[in-house]
Amino acid sequence: MTAASPLSLSRRQGLAVRQGAIALIILLGLVLVLPVMIGDAFVYHVFVTICIFAALSTAWNIVGGYAGQLSLGHGIFYGIGAYVGMMLMNVGVTPWLGMFASAAIAALVAMVISYPCFRLRGPFFALATIALLEVFRVLALHFRDITGGATGMMVPLNIGWEWMIFRERLPSLLIAFGLMLVTLAVAWAVRSRRFGFYLVATRERESAARAAGVDTVRVRLMAVAVSAALTAMVGTFHAMYLTFIEPESVFSLTLSIQIAMFALIGGIGTVFGPLLGAVLLVPITELARGWLGAEAIGLHGFVYGAVLVGVVLFMPNGISGLLDRFFKTRAPARTAPGEVAAVAAAPRASGNPQIGEDVLRVSGLQKSFGGLRVTRDVSFTLREGEILGLIGPNGAGKTTVFNMISGFLEQDAGTVEVRSTDGSWRTPVTPGDFAAIGVGRTFQIVQPFAAMTVEENIMVGAFHRHADVHEARDHARRTAERMGLAAYLDMEARSLTIGGLKRLEVARVMAMEPRILLLDEVMAGINQTDVRRAVDLMLSIRDGGVSIIAIEHVMQAVMSLSDRVLVLNSGEIIAKGSPGEVVRDQTVIEAYLGKEYIDAQT
Amino acid sequence: METFLQVAVNGLMLGGLFAIVAVGLTLIFGIVKVINFAHGEFLMVGMYATFLLTTGLGMHPYVTAAAVVPILFVIGALTQRFIIQPLLAAHDEHIQIFATVGISTALINLALLLFGADIMSTPSYGLRSSIEIGSVRILTGQAVIFVAASVLVFGLHLFMSRTLWGRAIRAVAQNRAAAQLMGINVDRVYVLTFGIGAACVGLAASLVAPLYPTSPTTGTYFVLTAFVVVVLGGLGSLGGAFVGAMVIGLIDSLAGFYIGSDLREVAVFAVFLLILILKPSGLFGKQLNLSHVSP
Repeated sequence: MTAASPLSLSRRQGLAVRQGAIALIILLGLVLVLPVMIGDAFVYHVFVTICIFAALSTAWNIVGGYAGQLSLGHGIFYGIGAYVGMMLMNVGVTPWLGMFASAAIAALVAMVISYPCFRLRGPFFALATIALLEVFRVLALHFRDITGGATGMMVPLNIGWEWMIFRERLPSLLIAFGLMLVTLAVAWAVRSRRFGFYLVATRERESAARAAGVDTVRVRLMAVAVSAALTAMVGTFHAMYLTFIEPESVFSLTLSIQIAMFALIGGIGTVFGPLLGAVLLVPITELARGWLGAEAIGLHGFVYGAVLVGVVLFMPNGISGLLDRFFKTRAPARTAPGEVAAVAAAPRASGNPQIGEDVLRVSGLQKSFGGLRVTRDVSFTLREGEILGLIGPNGAGKTTVFNMISGFLEQDAGTVEVRSTDGSWRTPVTPGDFAAIGVGRTFQIVQPFAAMTVEENIMVGAFHRHADVHEARDHARRTAERMGLAAYLDMEARSLTIGGLKRLEVARVMAMEPRILLLDEVMAGINQTDVRRAVDLMLSIRDGGVSIIAIEHVMQAVMSLSDRVLVLNSGEIIAKGSPGEVVRDQTVIEAYLGKEYIDAQT
Repeated sequence: METFLQVAVNGLMLGGLFAIVAVGLTLIFGIVKVINFAHGEFLMVGMYATFLLTTGLGMHPYVTAAAVVPILFVIGALTQRFIIQPLLAAHDEHIQIFATVGISTALINLALLLFGADIMSTPSYGLRSSIEIGSVRILTGQAVIFVAASVLVFGLHLFMSRTLWGRAIRAVAQNRAAAQLMGINVDRVYVLTFGIGAACVGLAASLVAPLYPTSPTTGTYFVLTAFVVVVLGGLGSLGGAFVGAMVIGLIDSLAGFYIGSDLREVAVFAVFLLILILKPSGLFGKQLNLSHVSP
């Protein structure tokens, strides 16, 4: 699933964007003009339906595409929109107001039911939404005093703009078209702002997003609320348009699947993919219904299913993915990757800066996984402007310590205190707290946002201090230059080499402008040249006033970099001191090389 | 008390029905790690096949299993080979979900196209008559399903634990790469597993058809409950699915009697959501989390 971001394209690709914009305007224009020109009632109906489904799919895409939460229960919100709008109309409230009432209710319901479900991934989230949809359908059938039960509800025949019900077809088309534009505009706005970047980042790698200071639960809840509200508004209008609703047809699994299907076929996670999907597929249903009538019942559904399987097998990025590939081959790349040597960092000023006061205090950290005690009574401090090397054999508990001092694991006992900029000591708890107070971390196993470009990856970090997209982009570019990633800005993160990914990991954290940087084996598995480059990079970062704790296995690097070294073995700190002291420590040699080695020496 | 007993026995019989539908689903999920959203439609295809063979050739519905089970095996194997297998490499689970959802949509509508929306009733051959045990009555067909479900679960368990193929299947489920290194043809194991899972639902179809009407959406009706059963029992656990089916059967039956028959589904799905949220690994599932490195 690729999220072709609208704004990530470089200026040189501006041409393609302009072509795309023109194509889009023509497409939208046709949706409005064609039916008016043809003037046939049935054609009007087809286009109204296109607009409705394009709007529904676009709204779904905010949750299903951007946030990657595959809902197969969007019929719930559509149904809430339809029923609330209809009930309010029955007591004399115009659907223009009813629309907003239903949007508010749907957003609320969406947040309440999604909050627990967000713990579920992939197919389980989908199953839960299906189950909830069934519950709503059964409840709508059961409470027939309110909903009319299986007999459904009819609109009172009030005609006119006030009631959204018309004899002629054009006004309905205008409203449907307007709703579609609103949904597209919202989807566009979401995708091109910080919110959208956060959603996609959360979808791609939740833990990396949290490390970048994203409140992943909150952004998902907001996405669900926006999506549900839009879906409900469309639902209200559609009820007026159809003039009749019943539980089976609105709280419908088939409808919910269709909404998701159009988005997938058009291009899941893209802004305009769902529109394309609806434009291409809705006519099949409506024409089959209109021309072939009852004989062809099931035909369009069969085609939908077959097309869906085909798309999934042969073009998983949908029609948008296909168009993208077509345009990308024509747009020149910024610079051919590889041509530019990735030069790291500015030359560093000579001499080590003064090491200042403590900025991080860790005392008595304990953690057990079941019966396994991973850390026992780990205490240390980090001083301002210092590089602290954290070494130890595999399984010593280094990463576990990192997870506890960045909020990813809760310690069983002990405290982690961080000094904030105003000099007071705080005890952050969640990864978000740590990010907010200026602690940034990388992951041992790199966690890029695979479907985002290098630039977008770094922007996710940059958003931590710069809410505006343009500022964040500028900052990201500067950071990329410093990290030697400038040549790769437009590349998708998944196509970088391991060395590139490690640098990207550091770049993303650096873009957050942390005061304390936790680096987890950024040098593992990269070649000698890259190691030297990484050493220079770390020194220049430190010279910029950042305090660093680095877990590292590359000994020569640790020894040349670190002001102090901590040695962890079996969850305990067995030695600390200057690099020179530590390498001569008997317990350290024993931990690394075994007792036999010491015995052999003596 | 007598009513309660009757309602409870009804629940267990219903549980047998859910179990026999869910067995294949949990098998496929446990091994191939794909949730087959088209499982219900496989059941529906099997029921139509049973209906056609029974009415067309005058066969006893149970005899049709000899044909329906192999047919479903082939359908399942083909689905795995040509649709799921190319997608297994995709890191994105959405793609696999959409693939089986697409199959489901296509099959439902194909049935609509071929048979219309009308309900077809397979001749019951006396399977809808009830037998009395003490004060409790059960349908003959239901008793057969219950016994068949028990035998099927037990038989599959034996197959998995005693035979070479069964061991290969379990090895693949636990660690695909390691199994491959041991010389197991992983792709073939997946095809076989999917086939067996579909064959199970074929057997279910032949047993269910005489008791329940067949329509294009029959599958949806059964499979939603089957999902609940599978999640409750711990995905991939055969024994868990059986116990889960009994629990859901009882809830369904008791809720239907004491709360209201139209709200049975609400009770069942409420349990489902609670389990999903509170204990996603299911009542009998094991939590597998080996990595502390990447939170």
